[in-house]
Amino acid sequence: MLIPHPLLGLRDAQEFTYLGDARLIERPTSGDEAELADYVFQRDNPAGLHRELWFHEQGDRSWLVVTRNTLTHEILGAELARDVSLARKEGTA
Amino acid sequence: MTDLSPLCALGATAPRRVTHGALTLAETPDCGLASLALRTGTPPPSLPLPEPGRWHETDGLTAFWTGPGQWLVEMPGCAEVDAAAMLGERAPGASVTEQTDGWVLFEISSTGGAEPIERFLERAVNLDLTRFAPGHATRSTIEHLGTYVLRRAEDRLGIWGMRSAAESLWHALETIAGRQG
Amino acid sequence: MKFSGFRVVAEALRGHKGWKPLWRDPAPQSEYDVIIIGGGGHGLATAFYLAEVHGIRKVAVLEKGWLGSGNIGRNTTIIRSNYLLPGNQPFYEFSMKLWEGLEQAINFNAMVSQRGILNLYHSDGQRDAYRRRGNAMHLTGAGAELLDQDAVRRMYPWLNFDNARFPIKGGLLQRRAGTARHDGVAWGYARAADLRGVDIIQNCEVTGFRIEHGRVQGVETNRGFIGAKKVGVAVAGSSSRVMAQAGLRLPIESHVLQAFVTEGLKPAIDGVITFGAGHFYVSQSDKGGLVFGGDIDGYNSYAQRGNLPVVEDVVEGGMALMPRIGRARLLRSWAGLMDMSMDGSPIIDRTPVDGLYLNAGWCYGGFKATPASGYAFAHLLATDTPHETATAYRLDRFARGHVIDEKGVGAQPNLH
Ligand SMILES: Cc1cc2nc3c(=O)[nH]c(=O)nc-3n(C[C@H](O)[C@H](O)[C@H](O)COP(=O)(O)OP(=O)(O)OC[C@H]3O[C@@H](n4cnc5c(N)ncnc54)[C@H](O)[C@@H]3O)c2cc1C
Repeated sequence: MLIPHPLLGLRDAQEFTYLGDARLIERPTSGDEAELADYVFQRDNPAGLHRELWFHEQGDRSWLVVTRNTLTHEILGAELARDVSLARKEGTA
Repeated sequence: MTDLSPLCALGATAPRRVTHGALTLAETPDCGLASLALRTGTPPPSLPLPEPGRWHETDGLTAFWTGPGQWLVEMPGCAEVDAAAMLGERAPGASVTEQTDGWVLFEISSTGGAEPIERFLERAVNLDLTRFAPGHATRSTIEHLGTYVLRRAEDRLGIWGMRSAAESLWHALETIAGRQG
Repeated sequence: MKFSGFRVVAEALRGHKGWKPLWRDPAPQSEYDVIIIGGGGHGLATAFYLAEVHGIRKVAVLEKGWLGSGNIGRNTTIIRSNYLLPGNQPFYEFSMKLWEGLEQAINFNAMVSQRGILNLYHSDGQRDAYRRRGNAMHLTGAGAELLDQDAVRRMYPWLNFDNARFPIKGGLLQRRAGTARHDGVAWGYARAADLRGVDIIQNCEVTGFRIEHGRVQGVETNRGFIGAKKVGVAVAGSSSRVMAQAGLRLPIESHVLQAFVTEGLKPAIDGVITFGAGHFYVSQSDKGGLVFGGDIDGYNSYAQRGNLPVVEDVVEGGMALMPRIGRARLLRSWAGLMDMSMDGSPIIDRTPVDGLYLNAGWCYGGFKATPASGYAFAHLLATDTPHETATAYRLDRFARGHVIDEKGVGAQPNLH
């Protein structure tokens, strides 16, 4: 698989490590235990489009949010996780 | 009296050098290295800094992009001086860290123009060569080892690797060069 | 039709014209006592033990494809009981005991072969960890032997003992471990369940659940609604998809695992060997092919095929361990869907929906579990209490902090 890095162009997926569902960015802050357990352990695990976190460990050390089809491995896009996170904070501010 | 004699990363007092066909690999111990990270609000340094995926040379110093807001700066001949302090003067307010001792530099040059270098790259790294012309620099892996690869010219590469794995990296590079000779 | 040596001879004499299909092809009835979703090893074993042990025979196994099309027909056939933690090891040892009597129980030759598994160690720290594991195995009577380098050399003199980076220092041997013919296991359980009245319905995909007042009434399928008092889900890599139809999210990610087989060779490896310094393991099939595999690819996937980096990684591991494998030609590679759980251990439990039960989270190691998983799931379905070897496999253990994390890597499925 080749990941379209927003700054560096197409890069081999081997340069990255995989974390999982991009919703891991949305760590709950309420202090509610059940909500935290849900965040840590439960996943949608969809068959189809999946937004997920990849870390360019053997590259520029950026975290990316990659949109990928889990049925075909087709990659539809990638954004810097930092941009996604900042946009989210602005949205909630 | 302890008799300390400086050693190169590959363990000898003189740098290693080997030629396979058109390619020459040379351990290059005299280049200093420091990292530069800009902080929000600091003035731009008096040193032009390249875009993502590129290197740029000014006054004999070569800066290459390593991540958003971060660069490594090569300072030839400065391996035995305080490279970070020298760079710090040109980038007040930025975070500058000495890196020389953590890394090893291998220069690869070709007597046959671009072709042997490109064949070497095809075997060493999974990079798109149509996007790796002179002026480009990037981090990638060679035989599972993290490296920075700089395309210095059509016929020249610089490869920075971890000093603690210098022998493994050299072995990998020499094997690749030897196979195509 | 009972299998026996006499029967084989008799059939040989009449040109093998008397063999019958191993199970019926029934149309779904309108209602069952128990429906099992998923005709893999676990689903079929569950149906068999429901009928055999609990006398519950009005049972259907619904399989969306053909029988054996999932992981049961894709795995590398290794069976072993060499786990560490108290929540796991008694269960896997129970499974090993069931393997030892399986062929008599189901009257089918599943080619269970206790040829031993040798886990190699390459450092002092790894040796100490294996010693601890061996002790845990002894506590359940599984048997374990810690071998030094000389003992390993006597078994497999051709291994690469002096690899510069990963010298082989010794290994942990479980002699009772080994292999079994994976599709034989599926066919054997299917036939034995069918003989006891279970309906095995292929090409029947479950597309939804009918749930009224918090209680399951049956399942919607591509062949219409089928009613059931209880429904057990055993769909391995499809667990999240199927349970989402009942409105449940699971502590599971689906990942892809690849395996490989070479051309047939003369007998070369008489046991199972695992490399301790990278992820590579190998055994030789009875047809002569070297069957080997390694790590999961590491990203969520429902594709049932992997990518080249893992092929390279597995082959590098093989070359480091036994350079002579480089002379063999690769015949085929394939992949299956792993239900990777958040702690690397399985789930056999009730769910928040009354009458709906879950068997999932087998990661890449559920083949060895097939008999015990079926046994324990049948026990749960029949009695509403967990089997004594499976009490730790609760769905709520994650939220309660009772994870069973053999590797100690946390809620990161691709590291288990
Ligand atoms: C390459 C590979 C190597 C492995 N090696 C080993 C090993 O050496 N040792 C070991 O112990 N384990 C191994 N495993 C793991 C083991 O194979 C699995 O954990 C185990 O087979 C899973 O249980 P199962 O047999 O019931 O799964 P499956 O055979 O996958 O059964 C699940 C079934 O559910 C069906 N299904 C899915 N959705 C629906 C639906 N909506 N309606 C109806 N049916 C549905 C599927 O079609 C499938 O047939 C390996 C797996 C793979 C892929």
